Amino acid sequence: MLLFGLFAAIGALIGRLAYVQGWQAAWLSNLAKQSWDRTVPLSGIRGSILASDGQPLTYTASAPTIVAVPSQIKDKAGTAAKLAPILHMSVDSVLRQISQRELMVYIRPGGRQMSEEQANAVRKLELPGIYLTEDGKRAYPYGSLAAQVLGITGYDNVGLTGLEKQYNSVLSGKKGGITFYAKANGELIPGEGQSVVEPTDGDNIKTTLNLQIQQFVEREIEQAVAAYHPDSVTAIVENPKTGAILAMANYPTFNPADWRSADPSTYNRNLAIWQTFEPGSTFKIVTLAAALQEDKVNLNDRFYDPGYYEVAGHRIRCWKAGGHGSESFLNVVENSCNPGFIALGERLGKESLFSYIRAFGFGQKTGIDLPGEGNGILFKLSQVGPLELATTAFGQGVSVTPIQQVMAVGAVANGGKLMKPYLVSEIIDPDTGRVVSVTKPTVVRQVISPQVAAEVRAALESVVANGSGTRAYREGYRIAGKTGTAQVAKNGRYEPGHYIVSFIGMAPANDPALVCYVAIDNPHPEHGIVFGGVIAAPIVGNILDDGLRELGVPPQTQGLKKKYRYPEVPPVTVPNFVGLTMKEAQNLALQNSANLRVQVLGQGDVIIAQAPAGGAQVEPGSTIRLYRGQKAPSTNQVAAFALGG
Amino acid sequence: MLRSMSASPKRTPGSSPDFTLIGVILLLLAFGVTMVHSASSIISATRFQDAFYFSKRQALWALMGVGLMIWLSRVDYHVWRRHAPKIALASYALLVLVLVVGVNRGGSKAWLGIGSLGIQPSEFAKLGLVMFLAHLLAESKDRMHSFWRGFVPPMGLALVAVGLIMLEPDLGQSVVIMGTTLIMLFVAGTRWSHLATLLGAGVVGFAGLVAIAPYRMDRIYAFLDPWKYPLGKGYQIIQSLYALGSGGILGLGLGQSRQKFLYLPEPQTDFIFSIVGEELGLLGTVSVLLLFAVLIWRGIRTALYAPDDFGTLLATGITGMIAVQVLINIGVVTGSIPATGITLPFISYGGSSLTLLLSGVGILLNISKQAGMVE
Repeated sequence: MLLFGLFAAIGALIGRLAYVQGWQAAWLSNLAKQSWDRTVPLSGIRGSILASDGQPLTYTASAPTIVAVPSQIKDKAGTAAKLAPILHMSVDSVLRQISQRELMVYIRPGGRQMSEEQANAVRKLELPGIYLTEDGKRAYPYGSLAAQVLGITGYDNVGLTGLEKQYNSVLSGKKGGITFYAKANGELIPGEGQSVVEPTDGDNIKTTLNLQIQQFVEREIEQAVAAYHPDSVTAIVENPKTGAILAMANYPTFNPADWRSADPSTYNRNLAIWQTFEPGSTFKIVTLAAALQEDKVNLNDRFYDPGYYEVAGHRIRCWKAGGHGSESFLNVVENSCNPGFIALGERLGKESLFSYIRAFGFGQKTGIDLPGEGNGILFKLSQVGPLELATTAFGQGVSVTPIQQVMAVGAVANGGKLMKPYLVSEIIDPDTGRVVSVTKPTVVRQVISPQVAAEVRAALESVVANGSGTRAYREGYRIAGKTGTAQVAKNGRYEPGHYIVSFIGMAPANDPALVCYVAIDNPHPEHGIVFGGVIAAPIVGNILDDGLRELGVPPQTQGLKKKYRYPEVPPVTVPNFVGLTMKEAQNLALQNSANLRVQVLGQGDVIIAQAPAGGAQVEPGSTIRLYRGQKAPSTNQVAAFALGG
Repeated sequence: MLRSMSASPKRTPGSSPDFTLIGVILLLLAFGVTMVHSASSIISATRFQDAFYFSKRQALWALMGVGLMIWLSRVDYHVWRRHAPKIALASYALLVLVLVVGVNRGGSKAWLGIGSLGIQPSEFAKLGLVMFLAHLLAESKDRMHSFWRGFVPPMGLALVAVGLIMLEPDLGQSVVIMGTTLIMLFVAGTRWSHLATLLGAGVVGFAGLVAIAPYRMDRIYAFLDPWKYPLGKGYQIIQSLYALGSGGILGLGLGQSRQKFLYLPEPQTDFIFSIVGEELGLLGTVSVLLLFAVLIWRGIRTALYAPDDFGTLLATGITGMIAVQVLINIGVVTGSIPATGITLPFISYGGSSLTLLLSGVGILLNISKQAGMVE
């Protein structure tokens, strides 16, 4: 019985052994191997990010750095004595550092970021346990230029945002390393040897960013920030023929060389691809293109705007009090007349309008080669009633990203093809200069016909020459475009007084070489009151003007001339500011795309008088004088359900 | 009345000792010296700049031990009965002495230093106690049904020894002594109810020991989930399992252990079986276990055919002592039971242990000789 008991115990142990050494063997031996392995990483030089002309926007200089593996250095004193003079350090300091009980140490300061001569001298010594790696820092010759596009690198030169993250594997090359089986105290297990894998330098990436245009854009953003103190500004310039992004910039920005001291939102978000908001009137381009493609409108057709449009029992007002009266559909576009676009939306019907919206790329990522892109939000078709259809038609109730708008308008510019945007055109081997891969432009789909695209462009050229976009007009460059003003929704409600004013333009209208979009979030003009149509349009005008010169696109003479050259200049109506507080007056002006200047006189909280009076018809470009005072006459209600732009 | 005494062997005085047992012991010893060398070479080279430091000594101890074993196999085992009280007394004296002048090694005051030699009184006491218990139980076989007169005296003696050893402290040796005592009591025919009473007392006692030294509870936690404490209490068990797992079925080959590179602490003593598993695989570990099974079988057989009750009990005690130690050591190494520091008989490095074990086997051989086995 005792014998049986003892044998049973032995049997149980044999069973346990079979389980551990048979069943669990693979798992355990794998874990054990991991505990024996020691790897000292070796890095190559990170590749550069180049502008389209080959200038480096960021690069890493070679900086050979010593990695010492203390447990492999048998003769510590001798090693220190040989290294110290090369590193310009005291023998004691080197000895102390290589005697630490660590897997690997950097010898500071002399052993980091050495010269090539020092590195060669160290290499010649062939000291056991002393290895060379690269530890270069990113340099940014243009400071914060295109900071959010380039992105940042963190610990161990790993790309964290932007192109640095998207192309990290290309830029970082292949890590090498010294792998050896070690004793528990880190020493080599004798006879096992070690494998040294030399690192490979990363490839360079050449971007589509045009250094000059990018600099123009950032200069314009700086000036806009100085003038309007906005929360943020976003600008994108695209080559509509390929989808290549020539410039992309945001404010607020940061210095990538010193990103750790910047506000994380500045380097974590690229507003141009991340931010989603209601586009406002720039979205009318989509409605117009759809209606023309579906043959639902002829731009010469007449339309009567009584100042509102009745939808499902609700009166949706035009941004212009009293309405535009009788006008052609071309005038509807020029005037950015909301009732006219509601009518176009109704003629299309929700299925058709929303299928065009999706076809133009809204509601999904464009697929640009940057991390962190937003989707945007569209109404679900099942939830679209007459009201939603109406607001969508003039750009409210949809949420889109700047890059989506650029690509959609880019399709109008290039004859109807929605392109996939891209930033990297080539991957280049830095040693041989050989081009490893080239990005070919990608057509996502044909959205509208070339004829319809041309028709839309003509209408938009007219908007700039004759309508709400006149401040973007540049003689000879045939700029076509559209302003937009959107109220910003927060927590399901519109935030009072918070607008994003934008303009999207292209030029030359007959065969656009550039598309440019600028959005200014929450402008606070220094001198109180500025009309919305005056803010973004001239910025786009400047960028397109400079950009076309940079690209060598010659000015043309056959474009539309500004109408004020003719006797019959269409007058604009002066809004009534009397009785409004300064804040209310600001909001009223921002919503109005009329080309009017404002001069504010006197002191006080409210506008007590104005000249010319509200309702007066004046020439575009006229100046309105507002007088401030303490008295508060009965405040007029400022209603703004529908905005124009 | 002795349990298991149903067989009535024929006696053939002056017959030969159990050669199967001798063969198994010599195999285990040769294997042990080899494994001590393989397992300890890195540690010896690191600590003493001599890869043979431990294996040389182990070989020497083995030779001396075998000599002792042969000599004792020729000494009539009844001598031990006469001297049992004196031997027991000496054992207790040494256990007290070690607490006073002992050398502290690895947190335990378990060693008496005599020159460069260290002897472990608990090893000596194990054998001394087995002898005395065999004597006592043979004397009192008519009183075994009684709790106070039959069960308590031997158990009390064992508990005193355990108590002294726990003061060092050395949990492993204590467990072996308790296990051996229980086996001997069981064979001597003690009542189940008495053993149950002891079990109850044991639970209380364990609780007390844990209260004195909470690290014992940590060992239990580490046993239940060693992966939770990879660098703390679970470290040894995990390293041991790494070794066994890496060995797989066939092993990495003799001398090819990686875990002996300072990963597994003291690979030549308590955890030598892990290195066996790593280098020789399941094949090696099961072979060793089977050798021990043969040893236990021959030991119990000797007990069965012993000429008198003292011989039966002495053979049972010696065999039981070896068996308990094997089961606990391999149980710990395979993560089957909580960690208890105990060496693997005949294989682990250790002079005191080896000498005393071989002495025990010598006595066992003499009993087998007097039994005069008849196949």
